[in-house]
Amino acid sequence: MKKYNLLFLLLFAVAATLPAQTEKGSIHIKNATVITITKGVLENTDVVVTDGKITGIGKSLKTPKGARVVDAAGQFVMPGIIDAHSHIALDAVNEGTNIVTAEVETGDVIDPLDVAIYRALAGGVTATHAMHGSANAIGGQCETIKLRYGTYDPEELKMEGAPRTIKFALGENPMRVHGEGSGLHARTRMGIEQVFRRAFSEARDYMAAQEDYNKKMASDPQAVPPMYDRRMEALADILRGDIIIHCHSYRADEILMLMNVCKDFGVTKLVYQHVNEGFKVAPELAEFGAMASVFADWWAYKFEVYYSTAYNAAILTRNGVVTSINSDSGDYIRHLYHQAGKTQRYGMLTDNEALRLITLNPAIQLGIEDRVGSLEKGKDGDITIFSAHPLSVYAIPQMTIVDGVVRFDIKEDNDDMRLSVDPEDTETMMLDYDDDHRCMEGTAEELFKY
Amino acid sequence: MRKHTVRWLLPFLLLLPVLSWAQDERPPVTRAYFINNAYVVQEPGKVIDLGGVIIRNGLIEAVGKGLKAPLDAKTLEGDSLYVYAGFIEGLSHTGVPKPKQPERGSRPEVKDPGNPPNDVAGIQPERSVTDLMKADDKSVADMRALGFTAAHVVPHGGMLPGQGAIVLLGGDNEREMVLRANTSLYSAFEGGQRVYPVTTMAIMSKYRELYKQAEQVKGHAGKYAANSRGMARPEYDDVLAAFFPVIDKKMPVFFEVEDIKEVYRAMGLSKELGFNLVLAEVSRGQLVMDKLKSTNTPVFLTLDLPKAKKEDKKEKGDKDKGDKKETDEKDTDEKDVDKKEGDKKVSPEKKMMMDKAEARRDASRKELEEQAAMLAKGGITFGFSTLNVKASDVRAHLGRMIKAGLTEDQALAALTTNPAKMLGIAQVAGTVEKGKIANLVVTDKPYFAEGSNVRYVIVDGMPHEYEVKKKKGPSDPDAVVMAVGEWNITIQVPGQSTESMVTITDDGGSLSGTIASDGDSRNLSGVSLDGDNLTFGSKFEAGGQSISLSFDLIIDGDNIEGSVKAGGFGSFDVEGSRAPK
Repeated sequence: MKKYNLLFLLLFAVAATLPAQTEKGSIHIKNATVITITKGVLENTDVVVTDGKITGIGKSLKTPKGARVVDAAGQFVMPGIIDAHSHIALDAVNEGTNIVTAEVETGDVIDPLDVAIYRALAGGVTATHAMHGSANAIGGQCETIKLRYGTYDPEELKMEGAPRTIKFALGENPMRVHGEGSGLHARTRMGIEQVFRRAFSEARDYMAAQEDYNKKMASDPQAVPPMYDRRMEALADILRGDIIIHCHSYRADEILMLMNVCKDFGVTKLVYQHVNEGFKVAPELAEFGAMASVFADWWAYKFEVYYSTAYNAAILTRNGVVTSINSDSGDYIRHLYHQAGKTQRYGMLTDNEALRLITLNPAIQLGIEDRVGSLEKGKDGDITIFSAHPLSVYAIPQMTIVDGVVRFDIKEDNDDMRLSVDPEDTETMMLDYDDDHRCMEGTAEELFKY
Repeated sequence: MRKHTVRWLLPFLLLLPVLSWAQDERPPVTRAYFINNAYVVQEPGKVIDLGGVIIRNGLIEAVGKGLKAPLDAKTLEGDSLYVYAGFIEGLSHTGVPKPKQPERGSRPEVKDPGNPPNDVAGIQPERSVTDLMKADDKSVADMRALGFTAAHVVPHGGMLPGQGAIVLLGGDNEREMVLRANTSLYSAFEGGQRVYPVTTMAIMSKYRELYKQAEQVKGHAGKYAANSRGMARPEYDDVLAAFFPVIDKKMPVFFEVEDIKEVYRAMGLSKELGFNLVLAEVSRGQLVMDKLKSTNTPVFLTLDLPKAKKEDKKEKGDKDKGDKKETDEKDTDEKDVDKKEGDKKVSPEKKMMMDKAEARRDASRKELEEQAAMLAKGGITFGFSTLNVKASDVRAHLGRMIKAGLTEDQALAALTTNPAKMLGIAQVAGTVEKGKIANLVVTDKPYFAEGSNVRYVIVDGMPHEYEVKKKKGPSDPDAVVMAVGEWNITIQVPGQSTESMVTITDDGGSLSGTIASDGDSRNLSGVSLDGDNLTFGSKFEAGGQSISLSFDLIIDGDNIEGSVKAGGFGSFDVEGSRAPK
């Protein structure tokens, strides 16, 4: 009987899939100006990566066996750029049929063949947060991926060991899709709050029923466990603190609302996405410990995004909020270093503060700062080499390295870098350019229904 | 009305006793047949020249040289004919009518699209395909005419459409067709129509949830059976119960995969949940060869391919740029206009890019064509699945795969011995051997040779004969022709021909029409024009039978020519021209 119960418990354990064998490389970058982010800027310095990990930063280092040697004299080396809000490399973005879809995972629909991955690499990006869209108040779980372009195996893109994250959404998007489009709840911002409260309450009940069963199980062989429910499992994991919430948000009132909901349910891991009115509630965000991932200067694309400022990132930063700048786009993702530079014009952030917005800060928001986001011994060999200082408008990415493997080299940048070609598709070719924002992909029927 | 109908159809009805054994209501005179002096390919690489096959009561009674004709057997003259084991479809919808498709973009009437009833969501693993088959579905005759005699068939629809069965492609009713029922759980990354689960991520989640719930309920039921007093009773749920044999590894999951990403996804689910996986409709499998090998996953490759590259008709002109201008100016053929304009506008840089893109498309097409050859070379055993290929393309696609390096023996193995083994029916199918079910294909040249015709397909010991029809010209998908109008056509049935008028009308983009003869008019179904290829169907009831006619015609200006297939009776030539105004 005991053995049986053990088996039963195993049913509930999330099946751990073994991480795919990812390619690791060794590389020796020589004589560069190295922007470490955490330990200053080092002139005439080498960076050595051995089997995917940074093993040395200093002068006149030894080349590891089999390593590629890159002379970067006169060039700038920085940690690979991280985009905390992206929808590239995904075969699906929104499961827009239910206002709560916590059980779905973008990790199941990774598209390693998406040429947008290569384009992002050409902009110095090495990792992205492949997010579910904003159609649902509680959307799906997201996947932090490394841009290991060249593999066909979706699993190989997943950043092994990265914490779980989930997409939440406030305001007009979920209201339009579900309240207006499907004629169900929630039709108002108040209704959206109730969606969270109800979902968390149901998850609490589910957890209580499980606990009850676990207690009874020992003494009562006839105890029956509650029926396995993936949505409740995911919501319960949020309450347990195992999943970081990344919430699509614009208005200050809603931002405060979600913090209150989280406080009531003991949830502390909270990152806001877009946060256009974050500057209004920056002290409150800092006090809660919530983080913010914003656009540099993009707004007014719908009613709730009119009250905005290009000083948002600087104000949030100065108020002690861990802030990043994201792309949410297959186009902007290629020049996140320009986006970061805008905070020097609007807010006078220092070079290092500006570059933190696209490196270490997004890493902190994704919970991967011990692995990436800065150049330090022991961290992953995710590195970008620029022709000039990355905040200069003249800077051009020369080489992008992931786990010590060169995934983009401007010298080997052919016209057509697609991994897969449809023999019958003569229309789009490589001129097809993903500059659309995919946050609301898959919800057109709901939005345009009158 | 009825009189007219019969008069018009008279020529077809006369053929009934001659051409059809299977459809005749009377029992056949004999169930013994003898094929003699044929080139018998028992299995790939094992042939008997001038051999014979004796068939009795649905089984192969003898195979070999110097067999004597049994007294009661009907002899099918086999001189210069080739005999193969009947082909087997690894996974298909043959004999399973496609349910009516809801309008694109529409949503079924449901209270909550996030939580629809299972049948709307495409979750019906409890269904058996044997309850959904129609023995007289056109697809059965179509696939049989190509040499397929058995198929592993599955229902249509959604992520879990139901359970498969292995059936023979012959027999008077659905029951007779079934060789084995409930052989597989069919799964696909096929979402609901604007109801949960739409996306693959929701399908994957739902799949895991159902599977784990099934394990839970199964465990509970087992416990309950052992000690039920005082215990909450397990919920009866036929959807979850359908997973039980899968959990026990008594039933494999056949996953239809669209591309290699889906290969990885299906393999991931199988590894995570622990079920036995069979992949179907695999394309570009050579890219995941190592993984297929290391996991030993059985694979059925798709018989579908992208359209073959068209031969560039203007190649000569292109070679000589000097002449080109002149020929272009003279050439006012409407279909060349686009290209001509294109040529003038395109800059050399853009032209180079377009040529490069074209080269990549060619390489991609080649990759798809040579999949079978590469896997064979890599030592992977595979069969073919036919969920997505049009019957009329099957032979051409096999030809392209062979041209891309697949040997004829490997192709034959993928159609016969391999699927028989993979589907667990090698005891009774897959080779021409004594004791096996008499499923045979008889052709007038080697099956894969140019211009080879299928003469007989024997299913379950019952021969179906095929007339060699006059060769019609190949269709041209790019031709621009006028199908709309009235056509006088003659259907040429040996000894008796019939004249009819076909009227095709255009209802704002979709074609429809009627066929009329002797004052009787009936509507056409499935009227479609692909380039110069006009196809349509018609159906009639006669002598207690439903016979469907399917026309396949090529239009050339005011002339029309092709053939009509009349149920199981065979194919007849059709000729005609546009009716004078």
